[in-house]
Amino acid sequence: MAEQSAGRGPAIICAGLAKTFGSGPAAVEAVAPLELTFGAGELTALVGPSGCGKSTVLRMVAGLEAPSAGAVTLDGAAPADLQGAGELAMAFQDASLLPWRSVRGNVALALKLARRPVDLAAVDAMIARVGLAGFEGARPAELSGGMRQRAAIARCLVTQPRVLLLDEPFGAVDELTRARLNADLPALWRAQGTTALLVTHSVREAVALADRIIVFSSRPAQVVADLPVPDAVSPDTADGRALMAQVTEALSQGWDDDAAAGRHAAQ
Amino acid sequence: MMRLQGAMPRNKGIAVQGPALRLPRLSREGAQALAGALGAVLLWELAARWLAGSYLLAGPVDVARYLQANSGLMGRALAITLENAAWGFVAGNLAAVALALVVVMAPRSQPVVAAFALVVFCLPLVATGPILRVLYGPGSGPQITLAALAVYYTTFIPLMVGLRAAPASWFDLMRVYGRGAWTAFVQVRMMAALPYLLAGLQIAAPAAFLGAMVGEFTGAERGMGVLALRAMRGLDVEATWALATVAAGVAMLAYGALGWVARALAPARPEVLLAPPPATAVSGRAGRALRGAGVALVSLVLMLALWWGVMEAFGLNRFFAKRPDDLWGFLVTAPNAAANRAVLWEASAQTLAFVLPGYLAGLGLGAVLAMVLVLAPGIAGAVLPVAVALRSVPIVTTAPLIVLALGRGAAGTITIVAVMIFFPALVACLQGLRQAPGQVLDVMATYGASPLSRLVHARLPAMLPAFFAAARMSVPAAVLAVTVAEWLATGTGLGNLMALTASTSNYNLLWSAVVLVALGSAAGYALVGAVERRVLARVAPEQLR
Repeated sequence: MAEQSAGRGPAIICAGLAKTFGSGPAAVEAVAPLELTFGAGELTALVGPSGCGKSTVLRMVAGLEAPSAGAVTLDGAAPADLQGAGELAMAFQDASLLPWRSVRGNVALALKLARRPVDLAAVDAMIARVGLAGFEGARPAELSGGMRQRAAIARCLVTQPRVLLLDEPFGAVDELTRARLNADLPALWRAQGTTALLVTHSVREAVALADRIIVFSSRPAQVVADLPVPDAVSPDTADGRALMAQVTEALSQGWDDDAAAGRHAAQ
Repeated sequence: MMRLQGAMPRNKGIAVQGPALRLPRLSREGAQALAGALGAVLLWELAARWLAGSYLLAGPVDVARYLQANSGLMGRALAITLENAAWGFVAGNLAAVALALVVVMAPRSQPVVAAFALVVFCLPLVATGPILRVLYGPGSGPQITLAALAVYYTTFIPLMVGLRAAPASWFDLMRVYGRGAWTAFVQVRMMAALPYLLAGLQIAAPAAFLGAMVGEFTGAERGMGVLALRAMRGLDVEATWALATVAAGVAMLAYGALGWVARALAPARPEVLLAPPPATAVSGRAGRALRGAGVALVSLVLMLALWWGVMEAFGLNRFFAKRPDDLWGFLVTAPNAAANRAVLWEASAQTLAFVLPGYLAGLGLGAVLAMVLVLAPGIAGAVLPVAVALRSVPIVTTAPLIVLALGRGAAGTITIVAVMIFFPALVACLQGLRQAPGQVLDVMATYGASPLSRLVHARLPAMLPAFFAAARMSVPAAVLAVTVAEWLATGTGLGNLMALTASTSNYNLLWSAVVLVALGSAAGYALVGAVERRVLARVAPEQLR
C-alpha cells in the first residue's frame, strides 16, 4: 500500500516528545519521552488503553497541545507552519460538525478557514465521494452518526491536507457502520498521498486500515509494540488474525492494573 | 441512505424539520393549548359573574366593552409605553451583550462582573424610578432606563452561558487551521450563543414592558402606567382590569413573537437557561469562603467607586444625588444615626415578613403543581402554555387587581409575591421534570415502578436544577413584588418608605433603603445559590461542571 502513496505527505518525527499536565504533586505525566518516526504517506494506527495519552500524542502533532519536552517536526516544519496553510486536518470522535451549518456549509468552512477560494463544485464533489450525494443541504441533526462522520471526513479532505489526524473518528458508531466507513473512506486519503495517524480502540480497525500499528502502554504512554502490517494482511486472513492476536497480547502487556484502578477511582 | 445508525447522542432534543412545507394544521399540543386558554377565559368570566356587585372583578365581557369605549385613550397610552419599552429593551440588551463580551474576553473578571450585574439588577425599581425622575427631569428617560434595568440581567446570564456552551473540539477545529480567537468567536461562540441570546431576549420582552410601566408610575404624564395608577386610585374596577388585560396581552404577544423568531433562527433550544453558579476551582471550604469574601470585597469597592465616580463626573447635586460618604454619615456618624437605622430596620422587618411567606408559598406551590401535572400529563399539555403565557404578565399589572380583590393587608401582599413567583417556578419545574433521562425512566418501567416512585426517583432529581434556577431568579422578583405592593397598597415596609421619602425629598433615607434592598436581594440570591450548590452536589453533580 505504501508505494501507492508516493509521498505528498511529510514524514513526522517525534523527538523526545513528552507531555506532563499540571505541576507539583498534582502533575500527571501523560506521555513519557517518545522517539518515533511516522513514514511519509503512511497510515499509522495508535492503539492503547483508555486515557493512556495516545490522543495527547495526536494533539501535539496537530499543534493543539504544546509539548513539555522534545518536539514534533513534519519534514522539518513545525505543526503551526502546516496549520496556517491548511495542510493539516483533524477528525474528532463526535464529528464536531457545526450544527447551524449544512453539510455543504461545514465542508466549505474548511476551505474558508484555510483561506482558500471556496469552490462549491469541488465541495459537492467531495461530499459525493464520501457517499453523501443528495445530503448537501442537510443539517447535522438530520444525519445519522455514520453520515456525520462521512461529512467530517469530507471536511478534512476537501483542503487536500498533507497530514490527516484521526482521533477515534469511528469510535461512536456501531460495528456495521464502522465496517462500511472503513471500507469506503481510507481509499480517499490514500489517493491524496496523505500521511495519516489514526487513534483507535479497535484492533480490527487498526489491522484493516493501517500500514503500521503502534501499541502504547497505560499512562504515561510508552511504546510496547511497533508492528508493520503487510499489504496483503486483512482481518479476515489467517495472517491478519495472528496479527490481531499479537496486538491484543501487546495491549495486555502494557496494561497497568494499578493505573487502570486509579483511573476508575478518579472517574 | 437509511438512518440505521440509531441514536444521535448530542442533538437528541432537537426537532428535525421536514424539507417539505406543510399546511398549518392544529396539532395535539395546539389543541391542548387552545383548550387551556379558552378554559382560563371561561373561568375568569364565571368568576366575574359570581362576584358581580362586589366591585372586585371585571369579566372578559366588561373588559371588552370598556376597551371598545376607550379605544383611543388606550391606544395612545399603549403606543407611548411600547415606545419606551422598546428603547429600554434595546439599551438593556446591548448592555447585556457588552457585559457578556467582557466576561468572555477576560474570564477572570467573571465573579466581579456577575456580582456587579446582580446588585444593579436588584436595585428596587420603586425607588430608582423617583431618583431617576429627579436626575433626568421630565421626559421618558426614567421609563427607558427602568425598562433597560429590568431586562439586561435575564439576557446577560444565558448569554454568558451560551458564549461558553460550545464543545472544545469546535475550537480545536479552528486551531487546526491556524485560526485564532477572533475566528473562533465569529464562527463558533457567536453562533453557539445565538439560541441562548434569543431565549434571553424572549424573557426580556415582557420585562421591558414592566420596567416602562413602573417608570410611568413615578411621575410620567402619559402612558399605560399613568392610566393604571389613576384607575387604581379611583377604584375603577373595569379600567384596572382592562389595563391589566391589555398589558398582559402585549406581554404575551411579545413573548410569543420572540419565541417564534427564536425558533425560526435557531431551532435548537438551550438545555439549561440559567446555569447553576459556577463551582470555583479553589478546593476546601475555607478556600472557597475566602475567595467568595475576596470577590465580594472587590465588587463592593468597585461599585462604590463607580457610584461615586458617576455622581462626580456628571456633577450631580449632593442634595438628591447622594454619595457613599453621605450615607455613611447618615447611618453611622451622624448624631441621630441610631434613629435613622431603626427606621430602616423596622421597614425591613415588615418587608421581610411579606417576602418570606410569599416567596416560599409561590415556589412550593409551583413545584407541587408541576409534580401533580406530571402525574396527569393530559392536563399538563393544557396548563403549560397558559402558565408560560401568564408568567410573562408583568407584576405591576396584576398587583392592582389583587389589591382590589384581597385588600390592602398582608394577605393581598403575600398573594402578589406568591403569584409573581408561582408561574416562573411552575414553568421551570415542568420543564425540568420533562428532562428526566429516558433511559432512567425505561429502567424504572422495567421494574414496574409506580408513577409516584418514578416521580421521586427519576423526575425529581432532574427537576432540581431548574427549580433552583427559578428559586434564585425569584429572590429579586419577590422583593420587587413586595416593594411595589407596599408602595401601591399596604403603606408599610421598605416599598412605602421609599415612596414616602421620594415624595418628601428625604434622599438620605431613600438612598439608604435602595442600597439596603439591592444588597439584601443580592445576598438572598447568593444564599439560594449556596444551598443550590450543596443540594446539586448530592443529587446532580453533573450539573455543576
